[in-house]
Amino acid sequence: MDTLAQSLNAGAIAPEAAILVALIACLLADLAGERTAARFVPPFTYLGLGTSLVLLALQWNQPAAPSFFGSFLADNLAVAFRAVVATSTLLSLLISWRYVERAGTPVGEYASILLAATIGAMLLCGATDLVSIFVALETLSVSSYLLSGYMKRDARSSEAALKYLLVGSAAAAVFLYGTSLLYGVSGGSTDLASITEALTATGVAPLSALALVFVLATVAFKISAVPFHQWTPDVYEGSPTPVVAFLSVGSKAAGFALALRLLVGCFSAFEAQWQLLFTVLAVLSMTLGNVVALAQTSMKRMLAYSSIGQAGFVMIGLVCGTQEGFSAMVLYMAAYLFMNLGAFACITLFSLRTGSDRISDYAGLYQKDPLITLALSLCLLSLGGIPPMLGFFGKIYLFFAGWADGQYLLVVVGLLTSVISIYYYISVIKMMVVKEPQEASDVVKSYPAITWVQPGLQPLRAALLVCLAVTAIGGVLSNPLFTWSNQAVEGTPLLQSLISQGPSVPPA
Amino acid sequence: MPPLADLTELIVFVLLAAGVVVGSLGVVLLPNVVYSAFLLGGVFLSVAGLYLLLNASFIAAAQVLIYVGAVNVLILFAIMLVNKREPMADAPGLGLRRLLSSGVCAGLLWLLLRVAYTTPWATPGPTPLGEDAVVRLGEHFFTDYLLPFELASVLLLMAMIGAIVLARRDVFASDIGTGEAADQGLIEKARSPLLIEKTRP
Amino acid sequence: MPPSFTVDLEAGFRGLIEAAGLSPAASRLIWLPLPMLLVLVAAVVGVLVTVWLERKISAAAQQRIGPEYAGALGILQPMADGLKLLVKEDVIPARADGLLFTLGPVLVVVPVILSWLIVPFGQHLLISNVGIGIFLWIALSSVQPIGLLMSGYASNNKYSLLGGLRAAAQSISYEIPLALAVLAVVMMSNSLSTVDIVDQQSGAGILSWNIWRQPVGFLVFWICALAECERLPFDLPEAEEELVAGYQTEYAGMKFALFYLGSYINLVLSALLVTVLYLGGWGFPLPVEWLASLLGQNIDAPLVQVVSATLGIVMTVLKAYLLVFTAILLRWTVPRVRIDQLLDFGWKFLLPIALVNLLATAALKLAFPAVFGG
Repeated sequence: MDTLAQSLNAGAIAPEAAILVALIACLLADLAGERTAARFVPPFTYLGLGTSLVLLALQWNQPAAPSFFGSFLADNLAVAFRAVVATSTLLSLLISWRYVERAGTPVGEYASILLAATIGAMLLCGATDLVSIFVALETLSVSSYLLSGYMKRDARSSEAALKYLLVGSAAAAVFLYGTSLLYGVSGGSTDLASITEALTATGVAPLSALALVFVLATVAFKISAVPFHQWTPDVYEGSPTPVVAFLSVGSKAAGFALALRLLVGCFSAFEAQWQLLFTVLAVLSMTLGNVVALAQTSMKRMLAYSSIGQAGFVMIGLVCGTQEGFSAMVLYMAAYLFMNLGAFACITLFSLRTGSDRISDYAGLYQKDPLITLALSLCLLSLGGIPPMLGFFGKIYLFFAGWADGQYLLVVVGLLTSVISIYYYISVIKMMVVKEPQEASDVVKSYPAITWVQPGLQPLRAALLVCLAVTAIGGVLSNPLFTWSNQAVEGTPLLQSLISQGPSVPPA
Repeated sequence: MPPLADLTELIVFVLLAAGVVVGSLGVVLLPNVVYSAFLLGGVFLSVAGLYLLLNASFIAAAQVLIYVGAVNVLILFAIMLVNKREPMADAPGLGLRRLLSSGVCAGLLWLLLRVAYTTPWATPGPTPLGEDAVVRLGEHFFTDYLLPFELASVLLLMAMIGAIVLARRDVFASDIGTGEAADQGLIEKARSPLLIEKTRP
Repeated sequence: MPPSFTVDLEAGFRGLIEAAGLSPAASRLIWLPLPMLLVLVAAVVGVLVTVWLERKISAAAQQRIGPEYAGALGILQPMADGLKLLVKEDVIPARADGLLFTLGPVLVVVPVILSWLIVPFGQHLLISNVGIGIFLWIALSSVQPIGLLMSGYASNNKYSLLGGLRAAAQSISYEIPLALAVLAVVMMSNSLSTVDIVDQQSGAGILSWNIWRQPVGFLVFWICALAECERLPFDLPEAEEELVAGYQTEYAGMKFALFYLGSYINLVLSALLVTVLYLGGWGFPLPVEWLASLLGQNIDAPLVQVVSATLGIVMTVLKAYLLVFTAILLRWTVPRVRIDQLLDFGWKFLLPIALVNLLATAALKLAFPAVFGG
């Protein structure tokens, strides 16, 4: 018995277990009625996520031993991405409470579904077995469908949930087909190590190419890369804003971790192929995401397209396959976490006060609400990559890594589309700041007095200030982040072996 | 005995495979959605039969229990509870769309066939366990597949809670914090409530 | 012949045929359909007896005499009923869906009859001792709602559709506690096979039956089995005051007879399975080995084996009919529940109870492996 417990090495998923305990506590608190739930659920979730983050910090730089007989691996990569996911959940929850209560929907269930999504996403980051990957993916997906349809009396929300469900199920089916092919290739084993071995042994064959395409389609769906992005704008527009915040960061981070583990790890024999495919995806995502974002009138839709573009930037690091590339990817994900969630905190606060998310309604906001104006401006500038914000350093690191690896096309497209993105980010800022008082929108003219007394607004303010501070100051003090992301790659045997064997010799 | 058994197996396989293929085509192509749903049950049953042929009786029974007994019944429920027969106008360019999608499907089929024929499959696979399969499944669930097994319970719990939350008819909905009436919709309205209030005297 | 004689009809029969000069393959071919036919006949006869019992007991409950002219005590009355249904006109309503209308009853009956595969009347007296035994029955019984929905839909009648939907809802709701109750028994016997389950209850006669170890499971199972059979107090799908006759409304003749037959075969089957799972199956209340030694007989002697096998069949049937009797008595003395009460009872009471029972069984099994199957 003892040997079984030892070989399970279940301590690796202690962070998820902490969240699971918080989830159950939320459900139990919810049994006592809505009022009790509204009071006790927030501290429970903070406690669970906080414990989880502490436990993750303890796993950092520890020698990673496979747990659950090779179902899960808590290497530094997994720890880093899990931390990103858990932080994004924590921040999304902080900006959620007021939104959910204002809409009159149950708080306890909301928090537990979001925590379940977090557990799924976190396990997805470290899963090293096809079955675990699939179940974790489905936990994340099913919870996401439920969350996007959470405002159930709203046709837009239901539409979002339905679209997400249909497209997501199709993606899951494709993924299952792909994994069944991988299962066949490996001769009946589901752990990634033996699949890697089998794929390397067979070399480039039609079967493995097909499996690659199918698996890649699912990963691209999860990170909403063009052309698998069609669900994104509608789902983002129809989902509750804090949920969108989680989907755009947490869910996407899990998708990238999956990409690293499954595509980069397993298909190392197919490096040329998947690099080509990802280059195409990245170019399309950056171009389409940023160009279409120009034409949006809804803030959430604009951020949806911008997130498609941002995913394109992150893919540059993935394509490089070098130490710098991977660590730039991790760094950009962390930076994106704070700047994007900061932007979402602002638009949540704005819609709570005005009930609108149209970009034109932001006109002249600086006179009525300087905090939102300042925070949103800084976050958007950071997303656009203006120095000295955090986003600038993230982006420059990505482009640098791409250039060093010879991915000139990607870097040039990235630079060009960055300029486009700066244009539409700045136009929002201009809308808020430059307008004269008489040019302000009707909404802003009848803007309510600013209060923070309503329950749930204080956490929102805290989240907003944290994101703002990290986005603004993090850029200048980004050295710890650089070390952190470098360590994330160095402490991951999988990535190290790839980098060392990497055939991509940087051209002089 | 072997020739007889082999022949029977072959015949049964052909029948079941035909059931799966024809049934699936029917599911997709039939205009009456109720027929499609019933045929889907037939497809599930045929698949269960294929599992039986592979000497995996537990999986076959589980397939019947879950897919026929639960999934298909649920689909039928949904169809029958909202069985509104509305004549739907055909989408424009339906013929072209059908042609295109059948072209895509045919291409995919060709691709899959090609892959299936060019791959040197490691046949025959592992020998079936037969009656011991249940024990082996249990062992796997509690050793190397423990993580997905336990995670599936979180998934199912959440799916159940979510389904109940979405389907529940709330008698009242109000903002717990302030006690105002709420509409359980997105906060972002098509028209800002501030303006509506303003136009109201 | 093996040294210790057991009643193995297959070996005996095939030995007989092979002695007559036929090849083993041919003897197998001849043997194969026999048990199935035998069980089919047994099921039908069981239904006839049950119908007769139902008529007589209901009459007694209502202080009537019941059937009395067809045969002694009216025992031929069910035959007459069956004959009448057989020759009645087979009506398919004008706007019904003919294909589904015909297929529905078939889909209801076939799974029930197939489930008889696993009912043991003795150590070797069953069609097939499949390893997944009792699970097969649970899986097969889950197919039934499809047939009910099909006939409800195909009748093109609102009462039929409502009845079909109710039947399916009821059936899937009660299947879960039912399966959980079975799971607790399976956990104790470490096997899904019905033969193993009965074997695990032999040893100390009546004292070793599962009903003492699983009293809660027994009640849950019996209630769920009644609900699965759509017996009063759970006959919502065909509640005549509300729905005329539910999904059976439009049916006549042989198709109606199939529904009728199906529901009674299911009742007998459920009673048999309760016997197998909780009442020691073919076991005699006193251990047969002990009785044999008391009478100074060798348990392996052919004669003793034949007697004990006969005793086993008699015991199984006796126990099952005791349960059938209870079910009939319940039907004629208990009022019907409402549909919301039915679903509440299933989901909010039976399901948690069954879950707790399962947990408690697991805990007891760990604490007292000797009693609860190690």
